[in-house]
Amino acid sequence: MLLVQLIVSGLQTGLLYAVTAAGFAMIFGATRIFHVAHGAVFALAGYVFLSAYTAGFGWTGGALAATVIAVAFGAGMERFVYRPIQRHEASFFTVFVASFGVSIIIQSLIEMIFGRGFVTLTTPLAQARPMFGGIYIAPMFWIVLVVTLVVFAVLWAFLRFTRTGIGLRALSESPELLRAYGLSAQRLSALVFAIGSVLCVPAAILKMAITGMQPSVNSHVMLISLASTIVGGVGSITGAALGGLLLGIAENVSITLLDSQWSEAASFIVLFAFILLRPRGLFGYAVTR
Amino acid sequence: MIAYLLNLSTLIAIFAILATSLNILVGFGGIFSVAQAVFFGVGAYAAAQMALNVTPDLLVDALVGAAAAGALSVCLALPALRVRDEYFVIASLGLQMLAVTIFIDMKPLTGGIGGLVGIPVPTLFGLSLANPDAMLAACVGFLVIALALTRVLMRGSFGRSLMSIRDNESAAAALGKNPMVLKTLAVVLGCAFAGVGGALYSAQIQFVNVESFTMDQSTLIMAMVVIGGTGTLAGPLVGSILILLLPAALSFIPGIPPTEIGAVQQMIYGLVMTLLMIFRPGGLVAFQAWRR
Repeated sequence: MLLVQLIVSGLQTGLLYAVTAAGFAMIFGATRIFHVAHGAVFALAGYVFLSAYTAGFGWTGGALAATVIAVAFGAGMERFVYRPIQRHEASFFTVFVASFGVSIIIQSLIEMIFGRGFVTLTTPLAQARPMFGGIYIAPMFWIVLVVTLVVFAVLWAFLRFTRTGIGLRALSESPELLRAYGLSAQRLSALVFAIGSVLCVPAAILKMAITGMQPSVNSHVMLISLASTIVGGVGSITGAALGGLLLGIAENVSITLLDSQWSEAASFIVLFAFILLRPRGLFGYAVTR
Repeated sequence: MIAYLLNLSTLIAIFAILATSLNILVGFGGIFSVAQAVFFGVGAYAAAQMALNVTPDLLVDALVGAAAAGALSVCLALPALRVRDEYFVIASLGLQMLAVTIFIDMKPLTGGIGGLVGIPVPTLFGLSLANPDAMLAACVGFLVIALALTRVLMRGSFGRSLMSIRDNESAAAALGKNPMVLKTLAVVLGCAFAGVGGALYSAQIQFVNVESFTMDQSTLIMAMVVIGGTGTLAGPLVGSILILLLPAALSFIPGIPPTEIGAVQQMIYGLVMTLLMIFRPGGLVAFQAWRR
């Protein structure tokens, strides 16, 4: 029974990881930019939501504020950090350090305003209720399930059927060909950053409501997004989502074997196992030398 | 005041060794690691255990620290270097987060959250280093050796091969260089240096706990290298001086509460790192544009 309970909570964590990682994978796949500040967007969205919520704007107001900030941050990173760097050169190192620098700025800004400790939002929705067979499930679980499934359905439909979505997929295949067809690779890059960052918003809000957040969530989300992308296979959004789900479940199920402070280690072990045994990930292409 | 300045200078020497150690990976090897504080920590814990149980001799402890950190780095390098550059960053990020848990949990070796206290005053060649002047001289000595060793190695065949791999791996491999072996050697060398830094640190502070080996510390070391200038000898030196003087400089500015200095400091070097990457990616002491 404990195992079922842990799988349920793992599913909840994993679904949140899945949307977040899908955002990172989408940005990385389309632009080849290693956007490690993705963790910072997550933290930013969570804290902005909390501020707006406690200021009395409610769930909708909070979500709206978080969305606006995430879009502005994502598009701003593309416009003011990555584009100037790519104008002179774009080595992995330069992009990584610039992005990492921004994530440090955001994390210390949050530390200054909200302190280093946990902040949380108390909602009755996060309280567990007994279900069939002695399993406890909070209403939040169903909310997480519905929200993430809706987000993925919308994302899938957008990428599959709209002209812009098809353009985005073309961007990851061949930016040159895209230009030959008269589409603007620059505009699409800005768009993919905006969309990828917005994917953090639902996950950040739900995490805030379920467990709360501390500023160092930034590096945790950074690791999870990167690890899911590797586990799922570089360049595959579906892969990253499944990777996130797998890491979330592994984190929770590991509690049956190890003490709870080791749950973070579980994601590291999964990541390392993939690097050792299947570096291309679930759906990626070969990357070994 | 003198005691404060001596302590600060000793810390600058120690962190300059750390920054130099990371520079071997990042600057010369083109391998990006965000786990340098882990190897710093392993060196510090190993040396502290040696000082507590075997001998307070600084040279012996530093070598043990270097060996421990170097050995651990092989475990990271072998799997992670098999694949693309990004993978090493991610594996090191994972290692950094995991290592903090391990440091807290392995109480017999690390003392847990409380850390290891009462590390004896170090000695060198039988002489006590209780005097802060002597400790400073010893640390500067280690720094000079580290810099000289880095210069000799990077000017020689090893360094040139390493840099050729950094600049164009396929071309270097076509010329018969083995990227895997050379990069692994660079990682082991860099991490062993970090272990030396850790040994000196534990001898200087006479106390080690997990707080010094977190992600924030790794970030700090990286900022030193990046701000100073990657792939140069003077860069990490300049970077560590600037960054360690920053908290002292900030405490003179009115209006910043002392509790916020840490966050303000982090924000400043985050900002400087990002701006440098946009406008001057080679760092402050770069005399030529980064060629890649």
